[in-house]
Amino acid sequence: MEASNRADDFIPAGLASLGIEVDEVDLAVIGAAHKLFWQPIRELLALDTSGVQAERCPDLSQPPETP
Amino acid sequence: MNVLDLGLRAQATAIGAGDADPAELLEAALERIEQRNPAVNAVIETFPERSREMLAAAPGGPLRGVPLVIKDEWPLPWRAQRFGAAEMFAATAPGESGPYRALRDAGAVIIGVANMHELGASSTGNTSVYGPARNPWNTERCPGGSSSGPAAAVAARLVAGAVGADGIGSIRFPAAYCGLTGLKPTFGRSAMAGHHLASISSTIVSGPLCADAADCRLLGSALFSQKLLAGGAAGLRIGVVRDAVSEDVAPEVRVACEEAIEALRAESGGEVRELELAGIESGSLATVLIANTESLGEVSPQRLNHLNPELSPIARGFAKYRMLLPAAASVKAQRVRTLMRHRVAAAFEQVDLIAWPTVPAVAPPLEVPLVELPSGTLSADQANVRGAGLANLTGIPSISVPVGLAGGLPIGLQLQAAWGRDELLLDAAEALERANGRRWVQMLSPVAQGERSEA
Repeated sequence: MEASNRADDFIPAGLASLGIEVDEVDLAVIGAAHKLFWQPIRELLALDTSGVQAERCPDLSQPPETP
Repeated sequence: MNVLDLGLRAQATAIGAGDADPAELLEAALERIEQRNPAVNAVIETFPERSREMLAAAPGGPLRGVPLVIKDEWPLPWRAQRFGAAEMFAATAPGESGPYRALRDAGAVIIGVANMHELGASSTGNTSVYGPARNPWNTERCPGGSSSGPAAAVAARLVAGAVGADGIGSIRFPAAYCGLTGLKPTFGRSAMAGHHLASISSTIVSGPLCADAADCRLLGSALFSQKLLAGGAAGLRIGVVRDAVSEDVAPEVRVACEEAIEALRAESGGEVRELELAGIESGSLATVLIANTESLGEVSPQRLNHLNPELSPIARGFAKYRMLLPAAASVKAQRVRTLMRHRVAAAFEQVDLIAWPTVPAVAPPLEVPLVELPSGTLSADQANVRGAGLANLTGIPSISVPVGLAGGLPIGLQLQAAWGRDELLLDAAEALERANGRRWVQMLSPVAQGERSEA
């Protein structure tokens, strides 16, 4: 089964596991958001960022310190 | 000419010279809101007595007696913000916010609170607990979000300046849709105190929306508590990126922006350079993930099970969906932030500005906010975030300037500069205004011309 096809299970099961109640309207909105975000999130998760050390408490008013 | 139709600095100058009575201007502004606001729903609350008290106590600052509005995102001493929503996830209370103090100390008079997209969650402005604000260029079109009311108020000439907030393009989108100049400052440079996410958010800043860059400089100086000095814009090195942000764009927007970039190059005697800036798309997603997860500390399943029924279905559903976002994605997003900050820093060693369209298409219909792009039909939010997220992710300043009209709707060009170079953006925007004879900053929306003054 394609991962993206498992959303029908993932969304209600995930929310139920957190104790979050949803109705049909919620599920429709969440399904639309999931369709929009999930593939890009999977692509983000697949990015190789192993060489990138995230800045600790970056000062966003300044350029990054030289690595 | 009616003083209300003057720009921000012209109003301030007229008051300072004794050519305009600020008390009369205040009453005239309140009357204009009564007349025009029903068409655009930009201002959701006025408080004439409070405004008169502000004027009576106003010091002799650079904005003395000038009426302004502020987005429903900061508290005032007499009113807590509502964030355009029936319910917020953070506690709020009336108080002296940073933008309030900045305006007060500059002598300005806050005459109203401006509408915004519910919870700041969209680039369209088509949803609010107060009803949507409407675009003064076409009241059936989106004004842009989330600073929908500030932009609509200025574009309708209810006021000459407004304070907005920008967490993912929320000043620049409405500036573009409404034909205004809107500055997203460098992170941390402008007043933020009192914002319910001030201690949490790493993307949101306050900033000015005005007709032109000089007015943004004046209002921005108040918000920065520092005079934003003009420094000229000679020999600008303008970077352009051959990516979806500049190429998956409606043809009329692409043409107008390319012409504006060339006009700016010619005016400054500079050059246009093609830049390699990989990762803009993943950077946009990282911005969305960071902005949408930073505030989750206020949220619990119990809270989500008892949401105010007046929250929109989209807000309710998305609030719940955020709980399913993987933690690993947030961690990745922070790495992408670092990566993009380094890439942007490297880019600004080659160029002074990075330019691309603020939004890829003109304002879509309020009822169906979809845009037609070469790649197909997209939701406006999906399309708009591509070009806006980088500045919020990295912290750099950015400005949207009007550069044309298509089908009677404004087109905006976005300029981005390195950290702390907000003044350069204003200089460049002024140079662009000179290059096109101030044609686009002087254009008036139909509502500002007195048309469609009733809903």
